[in-house]
Amino acid sequence: MSRKETPFFVGYLPLPRGLGGFVALVSVALVALFAAAALLIGGTQDAPQDAAFRFDYGRQTVTGVVELTPYPLLRVTEGNDLIPPGKTLMMTAAGKSGVDMRAMGLEGKLAQVSGVVLERGTIDMIQLRGGRRGIQAAEGEAPAMQTEPLGRWRLAGEICDGKCLYGAMRPGRGLAHKACANLCIIGDVPPVFVTTQPVEGQDFMLITGPDGTRLPKEAYDFVGQFVTLEGDLERRGDVLVLRLDTPTIALVDG
Amino acid sequence: MSVKYVPVQWNRSKWVYDGIMLAAVVAFLYLFLYVTPELLSHENPINPQVHNARAFGACAFLMLTVILWIGPLARIDRRFLPLLYNRRHFGVMTTFVAITHAGYILNWYFAFSSSDKYAALLFANTSYGQLAGFPFEAFGIFALVCLVILAVTSHDFWLKFLTPPVWKALHALIYFAYVAVVAHVALGIMQDQQNHTFTVIFIGGALSVAGLHAWAAWHEDRNGDRLGTEEGGWVDICDARKIEEGRAHIKVLPNGERVAVFRHEGKLSAISNACAHQNGPLGEGRIIDCLVTCPWHGFQYDVRTGRSPAPFTEMVPTYTLRLSGNRVQVQVEANPPGTPVDPVEVPA
Repeated sequence: MSRKETPFFVGYLPLPRGLGGFVALVSVALVALFAAAALLIGGTQDAPQDAAFRFDYGRQTVTGVVELTPYPLLRVTEGNDLIPPGKTLMMTAAGKSGVDMRAMGLEGKLAQVSGVVLERGTIDMIQLRGGRRGIQAAEGEAPAMQTEPLGRWRLAGEICDGKCLYGAMRPGRGLAHKACANLCIIGDVPPVFVTTQPVEGQDFMLITGPDGTRLPKEAYDFVGQFVTLEGDLERRGDVLVLRLDTPTIALVDG
Repeated sequence: MSVKYVPVQWNRSKWVYDGIMLAAVVAFLYLFLYVTPELLSHENPINPQVHNARAFGACAFLMLTVILWIGPLARIDRRFLPLLYNRRHFGVMTTFVAITHAGYILNWYFAFSSSDKYAALLFANTSYGQLAGFPFEAFGIFALVCLVILAVTSHDFWLKFLTPPVWKALHALIYFAYVAVVAHVALGIMQDQQNHTFTVIFIGGALSVAGLHAWAAWHEDRNGDRLGTEEGGWVDICDARKIEEGRAHIKVLPNGERVAVFRHEGKLSAISNACAHQNGPLGEGRIIDCLVTCPWHGFQYDVRTGRSPAPFTEMVPTYTLRLSGNRVQVQVEANPPGTPVDPVEVPA
């Protein structure tokens, strides 16, 4: 329709004859466009990781030996049906906080911990209750726990925060989640490395800095990305711990 | 047009416009929030906070895309002008949707830590030196700040206070906001997609905005206003008899200004082509009830004086014109806004 033939629209006057059909068509098309976009975008979102808080299991209370890697682990000695003795649990507090300070005085000692577990195929993490109800010294002598060195490894995968990976957030990994993961790691939530290929039967491992230090800040730039890195691997119960050799970390192209 | 500022000068068109736009937004959010979880049926569903954030974020992107379609569409086909009329309301709506998206993100990904969530937004990811893993949130913050500025200054008070050229330049921020949103999405959620439906829609949307603007520019180049030739301070416009009753002929003057020469009751008058409201193209308007009516928002001016009818106070510059044979010519220098000029008879 040429400019001369186009009905002249003035907002505060009635819609001119000849324009009503067009405006109605555009209006319907607009609503249909938004509806179709919602169904297409919303209905094709990727499934998040198969992991979640298991509040339905109820509160779990177990006893074990506390180890600081420096991120605290519990080597379970007295468990229950869900968490048998011999299990190793990573521990975290509510929100984006770890339990380093609460576990510090208990290193190498028996402790009773209580909280809700997170499950990602297996149960490897527990979110402790607040205060002494979450972790407290237990009676008895702590048995000696073995740490099995597995040598130096070069691995490919992604650094994540363990809690979100374990279903505290779904999705809980990837670049869109990077800032959240950094914030968790800054708050001492145990960081984990998810490998592209299983290593010693596991597709993830707790990752620390070298020589018993926390994950170095240099690694934060690589969180949520596909990287290669090297480090010394060790097994603590059924959890692997990787001591990152920081300068070896590198982005994988493509 | 208004002689005093009111929050919104409602009329039927605005109610209908807002109703249709709101229906589109409500349809999007309802289907995304309440229907797609059933379609997905994930064993462990996406967290509601993330699902909600995605719904409002995707909706804001689509709304921005549509907003940026409207301008070029109206330039290509004037039947789209009704979409332009109340576009500011849709823009304000978009800002609220975008704020809701930001709220969900802030209160989920940046909450639950011992740090202030606003501070965490700034320090949690500082990988500014790399593309992959770049803190894409920064682009989102920039876009949101732009949208808030645009929404806050969308009222006619600011238009008059800042003057139309400054206001229009400020509102060109919408383009920067859109580019920032594209970067925000491209470096964020798009990096984690396995299903590429959203990627296709997103890229298609962004390309459609660029394509429509290129098409509109090409259309203007082919059909737009031409530069008039000057001689002795007068610019030749056209054969006076070719100007239709109630319509105008537009020419670009050597100083870059546009003049609109109208024919009204067999006489010619010339005024600036730029409406005093938003610099809308008066020459593409019509004379209604003896008044030039802007095609964008209906602001009106007496073609002989460039003044809005009382009690309105808007004024546009007028031009002195003369006939040279059958050719109508205007003086290059405009008269001050609101200066009466005697109309010139169209030759028989």
